[in-house]
Amino acid sequence: MLCQNCGRNDATTHIKRIVDGESTELHLCSSCASHLGYAGLFTGFGGGIGSLLSRFFPEAALPPAEDVERCPGCGASFDEIVRSGTMGCAECYDIFYDRLKPSLSRIHGRATHVGKTSFTTDDRSERRAELRRLEEERNEAVRKEEYEKAAVLRDRIRELRGETK
Amino acid sequence: MTKWYMLSGKENDVAVSSKVSLARNLRNHVFTSRLSAEEKEQIAREVTEAVSRQLPDKMITTHMEELTPYAAISLAERNLVSPEFVSVREGRTFLMTPDESLSLMICEEDHVKIQALLPGLELGRSFELADRMDTLLDEALGFSFDPKLGYLTQCPTNIGTAMRGSVILQLPAMRILGRVRNLSTTVSRLGLILTGAYGEGDSPTGSLYLLTNQVTLGISEEAALQNLESLALSILEQEREARKELMENLQFQDMLWRSYGTLKSARVMNFQEFMEALSVVKVGIAAGEFDLPMNTVNELIFAMQPATLNTEAGRPLDRQERDALRAEKVRAVFA
Repeated sequence: MLCQNCGRNDATTHIKRIVDGESTELHLCSSCASHLGYAGLFTGFGGGIGSLLSRFFPEAALPPAEDVERCPGCGASFDEIVRSGTMGCAECYDIFYDRLKPSLSRIHGRATHVGKTSFTTDDRSERRAELRRLEEERNEAVRKEEYEKAAVLRDRIRELRGETK
Repeated sequence: MTKWYMLSGKENDVAVSSKVSLARNLRNHVFTSRLSAEEKEQIAREVTEAVSRQLPDKMITTHMEELTPYAAISLAERNLVSPEFVSVREGRTFLMTPDESLSLMICEEDHVKIQALLPGLELGRSFELADRMDTLLDEALGFSFDPKLGYLTQCPTNIGTAMRGSVILQLPAMRILGRVRNLSTTVSRLGLILTGAYGEGDSPTGSLYLLTNQVTLGISEEAALQNLESLALSILEQEREARKELMENLQFQDMLWRSYGTLKSARVMNFQEFMEALSVVKVGIAAGEFDLPMNTVNELIFAMQPATLNTEAGRPLDRQERDALRAEKVRAVFA
Protein backbone atom coordinates (compact mmCIF):
# COMPACT_ATOMS: atom_id res chain seq x y z
CA MET A 1 0.00 0.00 0.00
CA LEU A 2 1.27 3.45 -0.85
CA CYS A 3 1.51 6.33 1.58
CA GLN A 4 -1.71 8.37 1.56
CA ASN A 5 0.18 11.58 2.06
CA CYS A 6 2.92 11.53 -0.59
CA GLY A 7 1.64 8.62 -2.71
CA ARG A 8 5.21 7.57 -3.48
CA ASN A 9 6.63 5.38 -0.69
CA ASP A 10 5.25 2.21 0.89
CA ALA A 11 3.04 2.87 3.88
CA THR A 12 4.59 1.44 7.04
CA THR A 13 2.72 3.33 9.74
CA HIS A 14 -0.98 2.65 10.18
CA ILE A 15 -2.93 4.99 12.39
CA LYS A 16 -6.51 4.59 13.51
CA ARG A 17 -8.25 7.86 14.15
CA ILE A 18 -11.61 9.54 14.36
CA VAL A 19 -12.35 12.15 11.69
CA ASP A 20 -15.67 13.95 11.44
CA GLY A 21 -17.57 11.33 13.36
CA GLU A 22 -16.14 8.36 11.47
CA SER A 23 -13.49 5.84 12.43
CA THR A 24 -10.82 5.87 9.71
CA GLU A 25 -7.34 4.54 9.09
CA LEU A 26 -4.40 6.57 7.89
CA HIS A 27 -1.55 4.81 6.08
CA LEU A 28 1.73 6.69 5.92
CA CYS A 29 5.35 6.11 4.93
CA SER A 30 7.86 6.69 7.69
CA SER A 31 8.97 10.09 6.43
CA CYS A 32 5.41 11.45 6.14
CA ALA A 33 4.58 9.90 9.53
CA SER A 34 7.45 11.78 11.06
CA HIS A 35 6.58 14.98 9.17
CA LEU A 36 2.98 14.82 10.39
CA GLY A 37 4.14 14.22 13.93
CA TYR A 38 3.26 10.54 14.26
CA ALA A 39 6.67 8.91 14.48
CA GLY A 40 8.36 8.27 17.76
CA LEU A 41 5.38 9.20 19.82
CA PHE A 42 2.50 7.33 21.26
CA THR A 43 -0.48 9.43 22.17
CA GLY A 44 -1.55 7.44 25.15
CA PHE A 45 -1.35 3.70 24.96
CA GLY A 46 -2.70 2.01 21.90
CA GLY A 47 -2.10 5.02 19.70
CA GLY A 48 -1.64 2.49 16.91
CA ILE A 49 2.07 3.09 16.74
CA GLY A 50 2.99 -0.17 18.45
CA SER A 51 4.24 -1.71 15.25
CA LEU A 52 6.80 1.05 14.96
CA LEU A 53 8.47 -0.50 17.93
CA SER A 54 10.40 -2.92 15.76
CA ARG A 55 12.66 -0.03 14.90
CA PHE A 56 13.73 0.00 18.53
CA PHE A 57 15.29 -3.42 18.02
CA PRO A 58 17.81 -2.86 15.21
CA GLU A 59 20.32 -5.33 16.66
CA ALA A 60 17.91 -8.24 16.54
CA ALA A 61 19.17 -10.77 14.05
CA LEU A 62 16.91 -13.56 12.83
CA PRO A 63 17.76 -16.71 14.73
CA PRO A 64 17.86 -20.01 12.79
CA ALA A 65 14.40 -21.54 12.38
CA GLU A 66 15.22 -24.65 14.40
CA ASP A 67 16.34 -24.35 17.99
CA VAL A 68 14.37 -21.15 18.66
CA GLU A 69 13.92 -20.34 22.28
CA ARG A 70 10.26 -19.84 23.15
CA CYS A 71 8.61 -18.30 26.18
CA PRO A 72 7.07 -21.11 28.29
CA GLY A 73 4.26 -18.71 29.30
CA CYS A 74 2.87 -17.93 25.86
CA GLY A 75 5.06 -19.62 23.24
CA ALA A 76 6.39 -16.41 21.71
CA SER A 77 9.92 -16.33 20.29
CA PHE A 78 12.10 -13.25 20.54
CA ASP A 79 11.83 -12.85 16.78
CA GLU A 80 8.03 -12.69 17.01
CA ILE A 81 8.27 -10.08 19.73
CA VAL A 82 10.57 -7.93 17.60
CA ARG A 83 8.38 -8.24 14.52
CA SER A 84 5.11 -7.45 16.30
CA GLY A 85 6.60 -4.91 18.70
CA THR A 86 4.58 -6.50 21.48
CA MET A 87 5.49 -8.88 24.27
CA GLY A 88 3.49 -12.13 24.49
CA CYS A 89 3.08 -12.22 28.25
CA ALA A 90 4.68 -11.06 31.49
CA GLU A 91 7.05 -14.04 31.48
CA CYS A 92 8.58 -12.88 28.18
CA TYR A 93 10.25 -10.05 30.07
CA ASP A 94 11.96 -12.63 32.26
CA ILE A 95 12.94 -15.13 29.57
CA PHE A 96 14.23 -12.57 27.04
CA TYR A 97 15.49 -10.01 29.55
CA ASP A 98 19.13 -10.03 28.42
CA ARG A 99 18.20 -9.50 24.80
CA LEU A 100 15.64 -6.84 25.66
CA LYS A 101 17.87 -4.86 27.94
CA PRO A 102 19.74 -2.75 25.34
CA SER A 103 16.45 -1.77 23.68
CA LEU A 104 14.81 -1.01 27.00
CA SER A 105 17.67 1.31 27.93
CA ARG A 106 17.39 2.98 24.55
CA ILE A 107 13.66 3.61 25.03
CA HIS A 108 13.73 4.47 28.70
CA GLY A 109 17.24 5.66 29.51
CA ARG A 110 17.55 4.25 33.00
CA ALA A 111 16.24 0.75 33.34
CA THR A 112 15.01 0.46 36.94
CA HIS A 113 11.50 1.06 38.18
CA VAL A 114 10.79 3.89 40.61
CA GLY A 115 7.28 4.55 41.93
CA LYS A 116 4.22 2.58 42.93
CA THR A 117 4.65 -1.14 43.56
CA SER A 118 2.07 -3.87 43.14
CA PHE A 119 0.63 -6.03 45.88
CA THR A 120 2.00 -8.95 43.93
CA THR A 121 5.63 -8.23 44.85
CA ASP A 122 7.00 -10.22 47.77
CA ASP A 123 6.86 -7.65 50.53
CA ARG A 124 3.43 -6.61 49.34
CA SER A 125 2.08 -10.16 49.39
CA GLU A 126 3.37 -10.48 52.94
CA ARG A 127 1.59 -7.27 53.69
CA ARG A 128 -1.54 -8.66 52.10
CA ALA A 129 -1.36 -11.80 54.25
CA GLU A 130 -0.88 -9.57 57.29
CA LEU A 131 -3.92 -7.54 56.25
CA ARG A 132 -6.04 -10.67 55.93
CA ARG A 133 -4.92 -11.83 59.40
CA LEU A 134 -5.70 -8.45 60.98
CA GLU A 135 -9.08 -8.26 59.29
CA GLU A 136 -10.00 -11.68 60.68
CA GLU A 137 -8.84 -10.66 64.15
CA ARG A 138 -10.88 -7.46 63.90
CA ASN A 139 -14.02 -9.34 62.84
CA GLU A 140 -13.47 -11.74 65.70
CA ALA A 141 -13.09 -8.81 68.14
CA VAL A 142 -16.29 -7.21 66.83
CA ARG A 143 -18.11 -10.52 67.21
CA LYS A 144 -16.95 -10.75 70.85
CA GLU A 145 -17.94 -7.10 71.32
CA GLU A 146 -14.33 -6.15 72.20
CA TYR A 147 -14.69 -2.78 70.54
CA GLU A 148 -11.54 -1.17 71.91
CA LYS A 149 -9.45 -3.99 70.53
CA ALA A 150 -11.34 -3.77 67.24
CA ALA A 151 -10.63 -0.04 67.00
CA VAL A 152 -6.90 -0.62 67.49
CA LEU A 153 -6.97 -3.31 64.82
CA ARG A 154 -8.95 -1.06 62.49
CA ASP A 155 -6.30 1.68 62.82
CA ARG A 156 -3.55 -0.85 62.18
CA ILE A 157 -5.38 -2.05 59.03
CA ARG A 158 -5.80 1.51 57.78
CA GLU A 159 -2.14 2.17 58.39
CA LEU A 160 -1.10 -0.92 56.44
CA ARG A 161 -3.35 0.08 53.59
CA GLY A 162 -1.71 3.49 53.60
CA GLU A 163 -5.03 5.18 54.33
CA THR A 164 -3.88 7.31 57.27
CA LYS A 165 -1.66 9.65 55.29
CA MET B 1 -26.33 13.61 34.95
CA THR B 2 -23.58 16.20 35.22
CA LYS B 3 -20.48 15.08 33.33
CA TRP B 4 -16.97 16.02 34.37
CA TYR B 5 -16.54 18.32 31.35
CA MET B 6 -19.47 20.51 32.40
CA LEU B 7 -17.66 21.50 35.58
CA SER B 8 -15.24 24.33 36.07
CA GLY B 9 -11.56 23.40 36.46
CA LYS B 10 -8.36 25.22 37.43
CA GLU B 11 -6.65 27.33 34.73
CA ASN B 12 -9.49 26.53 32.35
CA ASP B 13 -8.89 29.58 30.16
CA VAL B 14 -6.09 27.49 28.60
CA ALA B 15 -6.21 23.99 30.13
CA VAL B 16 -9.30 22.13 28.90
CA SER B 17 -8.84 18.80 30.65
CA SER B 18 -6.37 16.59 32.48
CA LYS B 19 -6.13 12.84 32.18
CA VAL B 20 -4.11 10.17 33.95
CA SER B 21 -4.12 6.58 32.65
CA LEU B 22 -2.57 3.45 34.14
CA ALA B 23 -2.04 0.34 32.01
CA ARG B 24 -2.28 -2.94 33.90
CA ASN B 25 -2.23 -6.66 33.10
CA LEU B 26 -3.62 -9.49 35.17
CA ARG B 27 -1.20 -12.14 36.32
CA ASN B 28 -1.75 -15.64 34.94
CA HIS B 29 -3.03 -14.41 31.58
CA VAL B 30 -1.05 -13.86 28.36
CA PHE B 31 -1.14 -10.32 26.98
CA THR B 32 -4.14 -9.05 25.01
CA SER B 33 -3.04 -9.73 21.44
CA ARG B 34 -2.59 -13.43 22.28
CA LEU B 35 -5.90 -13.82 24.12
CA SER B 36 -8.74 -15.95 22.75
CA ALA B 37 -12.28 -14.57 22.68
CA GLU B 38 -13.16 -16.73 25.73
CA GLU B 39 -10.17 -15.45 27.69
CA LYS B 40 -11.12 -11.86 26.88
CA GLU B 41 -14.59 -12.54 28.20
CA GLN B 42 -13.14 -14.07 31.32
CA ILE B 43 -10.91 -11.07 31.98
CA ALA B 44 -13.82 -8.70 31.45
CA ARG B 45 -15.84 -10.75 33.92
CA GLU B 46 -13.06 -10.83 36.53
CA VAL B 47 -12.51 -7.06 36.32
CA THR B 48 -16.22 -6.19 36.28
CA GLU B 49 -16.88 -8.44 39.28
CA ALA B 50 -13.96 -6.97 41.21
CA VAL B 51 -15.20 -3.45 40.50
CA SER B 52 -18.77 -4.18 41.54
CA ARG B 53 -17.60 -5.95 44.71
CA GLN B 54 -15.50 -2.97 45.74
CA LEU B 55 -17.69 -0.17 44.40
CA PRO B 56 -21.23 -1.50 44.09
CA ASP B 57 -23.40 0.44 41.60
CA LYS B 58 -20.66 2.94 40.91
CA MET B 59 -19.82 2.01 37.34
CA ILE B 60 -21.77 1.44 34.13
CA THR B 61 -20.66 -1.56 32.05
CA THR B 62 -20.79 -1.33 28.25
CA HIS B 63 -20.00 -4.12 25.82
CA MET B 64 -18.49 -2.18 22.94
CA GLU B 65 -19.97 -4.41 20.22
CA GLU B 66 -23.50 -3.64 21.45
CA LEU B 67 -23.15 0.10 20.82
CA THR B 68 -24.25 1.83 17.63
CA PRO B 69 -21.23 3.00 15.62
CA TYR B 70 -22.01 6.62 16.54
CA ALA B 71 -22.27 5.91 20.25
CA ALA B 72 -18.91 4.10 20.11
CA ILE B 73 -17.21 6.91 18.21
CA SER B 74 -18.73 9.45 20.56
CA LEU B 75 -16.79 7.79 23.40
CA ALA B 76 -13.57 8.42 21.46
CA GLU B 77 -14.56 12.00 20.69
CA ARG B 78 -15.01 12.62 24.38
CA ASN B 79 -11.52 11.25 24.99
CA LEU B 80 -12.83 8.27 26.96
CA VAL B 81 -11.54 5.52 24.67
CA SER B 82 -8.85 5.36 21.99
CA PRO B 83 -9.71 5.31 18.27
CA GLU B 84 -8.11 1.85 18.29
CA PHE B 85 -10.62 0.64 20.89
CA VAL B 86 -13.48 1.78 18.62
CA SER B 87 -12.10 0.37 15.38
CA VAL B 88 -12.33 -3.25 16.60
CA ARG B 89 -15.10 -3.61 19.15
CA GLU B 90 -15.46 -7.40 19.57
CA GLY B 91 -14.39 -8.67 22.98
CA ARG B 92 -13.94 -5.21 24.39
CA THR B 93 -15.68 -3.89 27.47
CA PHE B 94 -15.82 -0.37 28.83
CA LEU B 95 -16.69 0.68 32.38
CA MET B 96 -17.32 4.24 33.51
CA THR B 97 -18.76 6.23 36.37
CA PRO B 98 -21.97 8.13 35.48
CA ASP B 99 -20.05 11.44 35.39
CA GLU B 100 -17.46 9.79 33.06
CA SER B 101 -14.52 10.97 35.19
CA LEU B 102 -13.27 7.47 36.02
CA SER B 103 -13.28 4.70 33.42
CA LEU B 104 -11.75 1.37 32.49
CA MET B 105 -10.97 0.08 29.01
CA ILE B 106 -10.80 -3.71 29.15
CA CYS B 107 -8.70 -5.56 26.55
CA GLU B 108 -7.44 -2.53 24.69
CA GLU B 109 -3.67 -2.78 24.29
CA ASP B 110 -3.35 -4.06 27.85
CA HIS B 111 -5.86 -6.03 29.92
CA VAL B 112 -7.02 -2.98 31.86
CA LYS B 113 -6.49 0.70 31.34
CA ILE B 114 -7.62 2.81 34.26
CA GLN B 115 -8.35 6.41 33.28
CA ALA B 116 -9.28 9.50 35.23
CA LEU B 117 -10.40 12.66 33.45
CA LEU B 118 -11.05 16.03 35.07
CA PRO B 119 -11.64 19.55 33.75
CA GLY B 120 -8.81 22.11 33.78
CA LEU B 121 -5.32 21.44 35.13
CA GLU B 122 -5.93 18.72 37.72
CA LEU B 123 -3.23 16.10 37.28
CA GLY B 124 -2.82 15.46 41.00
CA ARG B 125 -6.50 14.77 41.58
CA SER B 126 -6.78 12.72 38.40
CA PHE B 127 -3.90 10.57 39.60
CA GLU B 128 -5.54 10.07 43.00
CA LEU B 129 -8.71 8.81 41.33
CA ALA B 130 -6.86 6.38 39.05
CA ASP B 131 -4.49 5.32 41.82
CA ARG B 132 -7.31 4.38 44.18
CA MET B 133 -8.98 2.23 41.52
CA ASP B 134 -5.62 0.63 40.74
CA THR B 135 -5.04 -0.30 44.39
CA LEU B 136 -8.53 -1.82 44.69
CA LEU B 137 -8.12 -3.90 41.54
CA ASP B 138 -4.58 -4.94 42.40
CA GLU B 139 -5.73 -6.22 45.79
CA ALA B 140 -8.58 -8.14 44.19
CA LEU B 141 -6.90 -9.45 41.02
CA GLY B 142 -3.12 -9.07 41.23
CA PHE B 143 -1.26 -7.28 38.41
CA SER B 144 1.87 -8.33 36.51
CA PHE B 145 4.75 -6.53 38.15
CA ASP B 146 8.51 -6.85 38.30
CA PRO B 147 10.52 -5.02 40.99
CA LYS B 148 13.08 -3.81 38.43
CA LEU B 149 10.81 -3.18 35.43
CA GLY B 150 7.69 -2.07 37.26
CA TYR B 151 4.25 -2.80 35.80
CA LEU B 152 4.66 -5.11 32.80
CA THR B 153 2.83 -4.07 29.66
CA GLN B 154 2.31 -5.57 26.23
CA CYS B 155 4.36 -2.81 24.61
CA PRO B 156 7.78 -2.35 26.24
CA THR B 157 7.58 1.42 25.76
CA ASN B 158 5.07 1.60 28.62
CA ILE B 159 6.72 -0.47 31.37
CA GLY B 160 7.60 1.06 34.73
CA THR B 161 4.80 3.18 36.10
CA ALA B 162 2.84 2.39 32.89
CA MET B 163 1.32 5.78 33.47
CA ARG B 164 0.47 8.51 30.99
CA GLY B 165 -0.53 11.92 32.19
CA SER B 166 -1.84 14.38 29.64
CA VAL B 167 -3.29 17.85 29.52
CA ILE B 168 -5.32 19.29 26.64
CA LEU B 169 -4.23 22.90 26.14
CA GLN B 170 -5.96 25.37 23.86
CA LEU B 171 -3.29 27.65 22.41
CA PRO B 172 -4.93 29.86 19.75
CA ALA B 173 -2.74 32.92 20.42
CA MET B 174 0.56 31.04 20.32
CA ARG B 175 -0.51 29.35 17.12
CA ILE B 176 -1.56 32.59 15.44
CA LEU B 177 1.76 34.15 16.46
CA GLY B 178 3.65 31.09 15.18
CA ARG B 179 5.14 30.15 18.53
CA VAL B 180 4.00 26.54 18.83
CA ARG B 181 6.71 25.02 16.65
CA ASN B 182 9.52 26.28 18.90
CA LEU B 183 7.56 25.14 21.88
CA SER B 184 7.31 21.55 20.57
CA THR B 185 11.09 21.40 20.25
CA THR B 186 11.62 22.60 23.81
CA VAL B 187 8.99 20.20 25.11
CA SER B 188 10.56 17.16 23.48
CA ARG B 189 13.95 18.08 24.94
CA LEU B 190 12.32 17.84 28.36
CA GLY B 191 11.10 14.31 27.66
CA LEU B 192 7.48 15.29 27.03
CA ILE B 193 5.44 15.38 23.84
CA LEU B 194 3.21 18.11 22.41
CA THR B 195 0.88 17.04 19.58
CA GLY B 196 -2.42 18.13 18.09
CA ALA B 197 -5.29 16.74 20.16
CA TYR B 198 -7.65 16.54 17.17
CA GLY B 199 -6.15 16.42 13.70
CA GLU B 200 -2.46 16.50 12.99
CA GLY B 201 0.39 18.55 11.62
CA ASP B 202 0.87 22.26 12.10
CA SER B 203 -2.77 23.23 12.43
CA PRO B 204 -4.67 20.97 14.83
CA THR B 205 -8.42 21.60 15.00
CA GLY B 206 -9.31 24.46 17.34
CA SER B 207 -5.66 24.93 18.39
CA LEU B 208 -6.09 22.08 20.85
CA TYR B 209 -2.81 20.47 21.83
CA LEU B 210 -2.08 17.43 23.94
CA LEU B 211 0.88 17.59 26.33
CA THR B 212 1.94 14.10 27.49
CA ASN B 213 4.74 12.51 29.48
CA GLN B 214 6.92 10.10 27.54
CA VAL B 215 9.17 8.37 30.08
CA THR B 216 7.61 5.69 32.29
CA LEU B 217 10.63 3.81 33.62
CA GLY B 218 12.95 5.31 36.23
CA ILE B 219 10.67 8.16 37.22
CA SER B 220 7.92 7.99 39.84
CA GLU B 221 4.30 8.87 39.09
CA GLU B 222 4.49 11.98 41.27
CA ALA B 223 7.71 13.24 39.68
CA ALA B 224 6.46 12.63 36.14
CA LEU B 225 3.20 14.46 36.85
CA GLN B 226 5.03 17.32 38.54
CA ASN B 227 7.21 17.79 35.44
CA LEU B 228 4.12 17.73 33.29
CA GLU B 229 2.25 20.18 35.48
CA SER B 230 5.09 22.70 35.74
CA LEU B 231 5.61 22.64 31.98
CA ALA B 232 1.86 23.01 31.43
CA LEU B 233 1.87 26.03 33.77
CA SER B 234 4.74 27.62 31.89
CA ILE B 235 3.00 27.10 28.52
CA LEU B 236 -0.17 28.52 30.07
CA GLU B 237 1.68 31.71 31.00
CA GLN B 238 3.16 32.01 27.52
CA GLU B 239 -0.28 31.61 25.97
CA ARG B 240 -1.72 34.27 28.29
CA GLU B 241 1.08 36.68 27.30
CA ALA B 242 0.45 35.95 23.62
CA ARG B 243 -3.28 36.60 24.11
CA LYS B 244 -2.56 39.99 25.68
CA GLU B 245 -0.41 40.92 22.69
CA LEU B 246 -3.11 39.84 20.26
CA MET B 247 -5.84 41.80 22.01
CA GLU B 248 -3.90 44.99 21.15
CA ASN B 249 -3.90 44.11 17.48
CA LEU B 250 -6.64 45.52 15.23
CA GLN B 251 -6.44 42.66 12.76
CA PHE B 252 -6.98 40.18 15.57
CA GLN B 253 -9.84 42.27 16.99
CA ASP B 254 -11.51 42.00 13.61
CA MET B 255 -10.97 38.24 13.54
CA LEU B 256 -12.31 37.96 17.10
CA TRP B 257 -15.57 39.80 16.36
CA ARG B 258 -16.09 37.96 13.08
CA SER B 259 -15.63 34.64 14.88
CA TYR B 260 -18.07 35.76 17.56
CA GLY B 261 -20.51 36.68 14.81
CA THR B 262 -20.19 33.18 13.34
CA LEU B 263 -20.92 31.49 16.67
CA LYS B 264 -23.79 33.87 17.36
CA SER B 265 -25.48 33.82 13.99
CA ALA B 266 -24.46 30.91 11.73
CA ARG B 267 -27.25 28.58 10.61
CA VAL B 268 -25.00 25.74 9.41
CA MET B 269 -21.64 25.09 11.00
CA ASN B 270 -19.26 22.17 10.53
CA PHE B 271 -17.09 21.00 13.42
CA GLN B 272 -13.89 22.46 12.01
CA GLU B 273 -15.39 25.91 11.53
CA PHE B 274 -16.98 25.80 14.96
CA MET B 275 -13.73 24.86 16.69
CA GLU B 276 -11.69 27.53 14.90
CA ALA B 277 -14.19 30.26 15.80
CA LEU B 278 -14.45 29.01 19.38
CA SER B 279 -10.68 28.98 19.92
CA VAL B 280 -10.46 32.62 18.79
CA VAL B 281 -13.48 33.74 20.82
CA LYS B 282 -11.96 32.11 23.91
CA VAL B 283 -9.20 34.72 23.76
CA GLY B 284 -11.90 37.41 23.96
CA ILE B 285 -13.72 35.66 26.80
CA ALA B 286 -10.50 35.34 28.80
CA ALA B 287 -9.87 39.08 28.25
CA GLY B 288 -13.36 39.91 29.53
CA GLU B 289 -14.62 41.09 26.15
CA PHE B 290 -17.52 38.61 26.18
CA ASP B 291 -19.31 37.53 29.32
CA LEU B 292 -19.53 33.74 29.21
CA PRO B 293 -18.38 31.12 31.73
CA MET B 294 -15.28 29.31 30.49
CA ASN B 295 -16.59 25.87 31.48
CA THR B 296 -19.67 26.36 29.28
CA VAL B 297 -17.36 27.07 26.36
CA ASN B 298 -15.07 24.12 27.14
CA GLU B 299 -18.07 21.82 27.43
CA LEU B 300 -18.98 22.61 23.81
CA ILE B 301 -15.62 21.23 22.63
CA PHE B 302 -16.87 17.77 23.61
CA ALA B 303 -20.61 18.19 23.15
CA MET B 304 -20.45 19.57 19.57
CA GLN B 305 -18.35 16.71 18.15
CA PRO B 306 -20.01 15.02 15.14
CA ALA B 307 -20.78 11.54 16.48
CA THR B 308 -21.63 12.92 19.92
CA LEU B 309 -24.26 15.22 18.35
CA ASN B 310 -25.62 12.29 16.40
CA THR B 311 -25.84 10.14 19.52
CA GLU B 312 -27.64 12.86 21.39
CA ALA B 313 -30.13 13.40 18.57
CA GLY B 314 -30.98 9.71 18.94
CA ARG B 315 -31.23 9.11 15.19
CA PRO B 316 -28.85 9.17 12.24
CA LEU B 317 -28.40 12.70 10.93
CA ASP B 318 -26.95 13.54 7.55
CA ARG B 319 -24.13 16.02 7.44
CA GLN B 320 -26.29 19.06 6.81
CA GLU B 321 -28.78 18.20 9.55
CA ARG B 322 -25.90 17.71 11.93
CA ASP B 323 -24.24 21.01 11.02
CA ALA B 324 -27.58 22.78 11.41
CA LEU B 325 -28.16 21.19 14.81
CA ARG B 326 -24.68 22.25 15.88
CA ALA B 327 -25.27 25.83 14.77
CA GLU B 328 -28.57 25.87 16.65
CA LYS B 329 -27.02 24.62 19.88
CA VAL B 330 -24.08 27.01 19.61
CA ARG B 331 -26.39 29.97 18.92
CA ALA B 332 -28.33 29.10 22.07
CA VAL B 333 -25.12 29.59 24.08
CA PHE B 334 -23.78 32.70 22.34
CA ALA B 335 -26.94 34.62 21.50
